[in-house]
Amino acid sequence: MTKTITEQKLRSLMDLLLKEGRRVVAPRQAGSIVLYEPIDSGEQLVLGIMPRRSAKETFFPLCETILTYGKDGNGVMVSDVDAGAFPETILVGAPPCDAAAPAVLDAVFSWDYNDEFFLERRKKTIIIGLACTAADDACFCTAVGLSPRDDKGSDLFLTPVAGGGYLCDAVTKKGKVFLDTYASFLAGGEAKPLPSAEPAATPLDLAGIKDWLESNFESPLWQEFADRCAGCGACAFLCPVCHCFDIVDEGTETKGARRKSWDACGFGKFTNHASGHNPRDIQNKRYRNRIMHKFKYYQDKFGQTLCTGCGRCVRSCPVGIDIRAVLEEIQAKP
Amino acid sequence: MIETPVPAVILAMKPLAPDILFFSLQLDTGTVSSNFSFVPGQFLQISAAGAGEAPFSPVNLPGDDGVIELCIRKAGHVTAKLHTLQTGDYVHVRGPFGNGFPVKQMEGQDLFLLAGGLGIVPLHSLLSYLVMHRQRFGAITFMYGAKEPSALFLRQELQDMACTGNIKFMVTVEFAPEDETGKTSCNIGLLPDLLQGAIITAERSYAAVCGPPALYKCLVGELKTLGFKEERILLSLERRMKCGLGRCAHCAVGQDLCCIDGPVFPYSALKGIEGAL
Repeated sequence: MTKTITEQKLRSLMDLLLKEGRRVVAPRQAGSIVLYEPIDSGEQLVLGIMPRRSAKETFFPLCETILTYGKDGNGVMVSDVDAGAFPETILVGAPPCDAAAPAVLDAVFSWDYNDEFFLERRKKTIIIGLACTAADDACFCTAVGLSPRDDKGSDLFLTPVAGGGYLCDAVTKKGKVFLDTYASFLAGGEAKPLPSAEPAATPLDLAGIKDWLESNFESPLWQEFADRCAGCGACAFLCPVCHCFDIVDEGTETKGARRKSWDACGFGKFTNHASGHNPRDIQNKRYRNRIMHKFKYYQDKFGQTLCTGCGRCVRSCPVGIDIRAVLEEIQAKP
Repeated sequence: MIETPVPAVILAMKPLAPDILFFSLQLDTGTVSSNFSFVPGQFLQISAAGAGEAPFSPVNLPGDDGVIELCIRKAGHVTAKLHTLQTGDYVHVRGPFGNGFPVKQMEGQDLFLLAGGLGIVPLHSLLSYLVMHRQRFGAITFMYGAKEPSALFLRQELQDMACTGNIKFMVTVEFAPEDETGKTSCNIGLLPDLLQGAIITAERSYAAVCGPPALYKCLVGELKTLGFKEERILLSLERRMKCGLGRCAHCAVGQDLCCIDGPVFPYSALKGIEGAL
């Protein structure tokens, strides 16, 4: 039977989870913008607004310590960070484009070596997705195979209903167990879902785009596409599935930490060597790598497209590069 | 593979050139040293406390003693820090990473090792392996090019190995000072020139190349002219390996990753990837 939950009950449920010691991450007001951040009370939950950054930092923080070192009489000692100590987390209010992203990243974080930082957080997090009832000009989930009501990647999925409140569906076993545990917050009965958002985007021919990429590594179009790119990396930092990172040591000879932090293949020094050799020395090579990685390499390697159509790169590009226009131009090529 | 960096003490350091130091490291704990091994051409991540981590290929072969030998040019901030260390100081090591040279596949074949400058490092390791298992391989030719005679590192060691291992050893430099009799101490020319005079049966030969980026394009062309199949030209690539585990994406070469699929690639795997060489 369909379950429903009122908005007030949803907020109360978050309060209870917080009281039980879970970490609850949700869209919340952060100054003038909305970001996914840990909340301290259910009242802070902001529903139905796309946060400025994606939810990937719930699993893959902007910067995290992966080991620490310190010098004693016997030399430098290295200590591992205990990934087992990550807190149980509820990620709530993620639109389909954000909820679907972590599952896409599972592939790269476990393909040859298990990345315990990412995978432990995945294991300990329940994702409560939320259907979108509004889309803006930049939204294009429908172009890359998702939809505003797609529950892919969610453990539980909320659909807004007429008159307030949400339909609440368990998507995974983890979600079902969660629903059973907190059944007292739910009500039964029928409710009419609000019409979901309708992004204007039409489905892209992802297979055709991949074919073109396959044989057009040296197309003059790359120059054209990347002409304006300033290499600022905003697209990569805001993207729910971009996952390049850098590793740096911070500290002194006697004490310090090794940190993993987000990086972007669009940065000029991303592939630069100390010798001065830089395999991707100009911006169009870097832009090409971005598109190739998302629509060809990740497909070849893991059978998935590295894009969920959230539109953040479109909204935030300072020089107005629209990835949809690039893909549509590619798609129009024979 | 060592996942969390382990300490290694610096047993010895000696200058090979004003900006290049040879390091001999000893892994710290008995358990690690006895389980530690690598294939020539693989790389290690070496950390200097306070500076960070950078990838290096060992110049030696792994023994059961946990000794790692490196040749490090002072080029960036990690290597600059490494150059300030002294015997008895510690660095940290994780790895090995990557594939290394396909030594099994190379058995029974004639081998041409072509090193340019500091590209000697993984090929010195490979040559040590070949000499140790000499009877498994056909004729071996080692060609080594550098800017000038003083930049031919490890020359004596290589010559000694060549002697004991029945290996044809050839060196060339771009320029060399003349001695009082008006002669130079070395052949003058580029690496591809050395290949011109060699007797090669390309269908039963492998070429293994490591050197500065500019070397690859001209050598590949020369080797192909000599009849080498693209899959028999093995190139060790330099990329900015950060994680070593196939996810940070710094070392991506097209859809391959230098830290997992490389750093040794047959030319056939690279030829369609602009910028790979």
